[in-house]
Amino acid sequence: MFTRFSASPPTPAPGAAPGPTRRRLLRHGTAAAGALLAAGPLSGCASPAAADASALRVWDLFQGGDGMLMDDMIKAVSEGPQGFEVERTILDWGPSYYTKLAMSAAGGRASDVAIMHLSRLAGYAPGGLLDPFDLDLLAEFGVSQKDFAPAVWSRTQHDGTVYAIPLDVHPFIVFYDEEAAGKAGLLDSSGELAPLGSPDALLDAGKALAEATGQKGILFGHVTDTAQTWRQFAALYAQTGAAFTLPDGGPPKIDVDAAVRVVDFMQRLFDGRTNPNNLDYNGAMAGFIGGRGGMVMLGEWELPTLKKSGIPLGAAPFPQVFDKPAVYTDSHSFVLPHQDNPDPARRHQAHRYVAEMVKQSLTWASAGHIPAYQPVIAEPEYAALDPQSSYADAGEVAVLDPPNWFAGAASNFQNRMCQPLQSALLGNTSAEKAVRQMVREADALLRQPNPVA
Amino acid sequence: MTTTAPPGTDAAAGPAADRPGDRRRFGLSGRSITQGPGLVFVVPFLLVFVLFLVWPIVHGLWMSFTDSSLALRDTAFVGFDNYAEAFGDPDVWSSLGNTAVFTAISSVPLVLIALAMALLVHSGLAGQWVWRLAFFAPYLLPVTVVTLIWTWLYQPELGLANQFLGTLGMEPVGWLSDEAVAMWSIAALTVWWTVGFNFLLYLAALQSLPSTYYEAAALDGAGAWRRLWSITLPQLRRTTVLVAMLQVLASLKVFDQIYILTKGGPNASTRPVLEYVYDVGFTGYRLGYASAVSYLFFALVIVVSLVQLRLFRQED
Repeated sequence: MFTRFSASPPTPAPGAAPGPTRRRLLRHGTAAAGALLAAGPLSGCASPAAADASALRVWDLFQGGDGMLMDDMIKAVSEGPQGFEVERTILDWGPSYYTKLAMSAAGGRASDVAIMHLSRLAGYAPGGLLDPFDLDLLAEFGVSQKDFAPAVWSRTQHDGTVYAIPLDVHPFIVFYDEEAAGKAGLLDSSGELAPLGSPDALLDAGKALAEATGQKGILFGHVTDTAQTWRQFAALYAQTGAAFTLPDGGPPKIDVDAAVRVVDFMQRLFDGRTNPNNLDYNGAMAGFIGGRGGMVMLGEWELPTLKKSGIPLGAAPFPQVFDKPAVYTDSHSFVLPHQDNPDPARRHQAHRYVAEMVKQSLTWASAGHIPAYQPVIAEPEYAALDPQSSYADAGEVAVLDPPNWFAGAASNFQNRMCQPLQSALLGNTSAEKAVRQMVREADALLRQPNPVA
Repeated sequence: MTTTAPPGTDAAAGPAADRPGDRRRFGLSGRSITQGPGLVFVVPFLLVFVLFLVWPIVHGLWMSFTDSSLALRDTAFVGFDNYAEAFGDPDVWSSLGNTAVFTAISSVPLVLIALAMALLVHSGLAGQWVWRLAFFAPYLLPVTVVTLIWTWLYQPELGLANQFLGTLGMEPVGWLSDEAVAMWSIAALTVWWTVGFNFLLYLAALQSLPSTYYEAAALDGAGAWRRLWSITLPQLRRTTVLVAMLQVLASLKVFDQIYILTKGGPNASTRPVLEYVYDVGFTGYRLGYASAVSYLFFALVIVVSLVQLRLFRQED
């Protein structure tokens, strides 16, 4: 999909004499001719290639509600005399997005700005598929490192150079039915989900919710999904304090005992009785919306859909049940895909555009995303967003995929981690076997030659 | 050819043109004339054929000997490294195995059910057009629609399939989540979706069978079964060979419905070799390695085709 946003025309100077004079007529005539020339490529049959070369070309993967919000934000920054001419291309989210992004950058004629999951940076920055940001230039436009949460900022760099400016943090969280949670005695005095603190507490919460709803307790859709079980595992595993690292050339560094403990807990949690173990993504969504469960484990990006359902909706960061708080997260970030001969003026504009866009994060937050740009979080308007503000802390304990070229959102790595985890949850294999297979899969990926460096 | 014939020796004057010397002269000059404009007509096709089939095949073969990457412009020749890696890659073997299993369990019903449906319709059932439409209609649906419908049918908690089993007092089945069942679920979907094409081929063949055989058989007192075994099925042999060959090739190329429905899961139990190629090449950027796996598969498909051809030729 391809959309074009034009900067609004300059407003006439105040006090300009009304009525047609010869000079005005001439000036307007020239302006009109100019406008006609500029508008030429706007006509329906114009191909993107023929479009105005001065417009900033941006790529993203936001459709549906997110896509409309992105439109609103671009419109907002396009307005006024300082506005941007923006040509927005929306590509389908998923593995193919990253294939296209890599190909366009390898070809050296990529868009000026693109959206990328921060977890994919390690596959793009080292191979030269991204161009670095000029932090001094960004600072001129009022955006600098101190505006971002350290947990996320630390992942924007490769070899000390910044390649990404985060727009949001989008964690894997829990949504719950406030009524059911209240009945189950899971809420604190302010009506928020009370801390759990131990694996058994979450197991008990599932049982209490199942009783409260008269159906199931905690819903989680993972069957045939290529990311869900990994998101859940990664959050719980990080809570044990163990590290999951993928050093180039292998072998992977995984604390097998901690991993087995986590998978074993996931199996107990989704035992198929209090909490179903065989739901797919849509089934879990439909189940929660239909009142067949008290809690659902999902990404915060499902907030708009769930809000529409009319359920008294509460949200909280992924519960801490092991030793330390951790939430699995990713982050939509702005990047500069590699161009062989970047035009300095356009690069300048690209930096200004990114700075202006992150300042629009409040709009973005209405979809459920946590703004990465901290000044927005501090605004009272953000605190008023409910339930968004109740999980805003998740950004501070963010855990992303271990950095390596093959890991990250929509990657083979996530898919291959999910397969044994799915088997374990369905009861087809033991926790030990599942973890051993995960280690084997990670090792196989690490032994492959790196195609991006 | 007739354009070159001297006056008076048109097609009607056949015997004259049949003399050896004449024939050679006509043949030669005929070819040189008809090839001129003929070539012009086939050139567009040839161009497309070379550009989009021959060149990619040659280029792909070259790529399989390099470390070609989707994300880099530099490539290096690596000899047989990719092939050596592929032979030692358990995922290549398991995905080839999955492709073979799918081909086996989908091809047989796709031929037999199509034949049964064609025979039923051809037997003079009332409301023929309804049956023809009903049997062929699923084939017209795009793969995305088909998989969307079946995702919900197979849905573990809310799906029609498990609801139906429930009313019979049976345990729910993990249609797409049970490693032992998932491939069968995909085969069932594929049969429902594509059997209409084979059905149509069989129906066309049935309708072209001469009625005289049946009249003669009826006079000799042959019953319906006798006529089926002794006339219809032997007469359909060529069609069966065609249908079976096309079907095996189509089943070997399975990708779309699996990719959308299960992404090759659960636990890679439904991942066909083409999905592995896609995963390695387009999600993992390793085009060189993906090409090598493709070429191994290509070789295998050719071997299977040749064996099939040999088998059927012997029968003929």
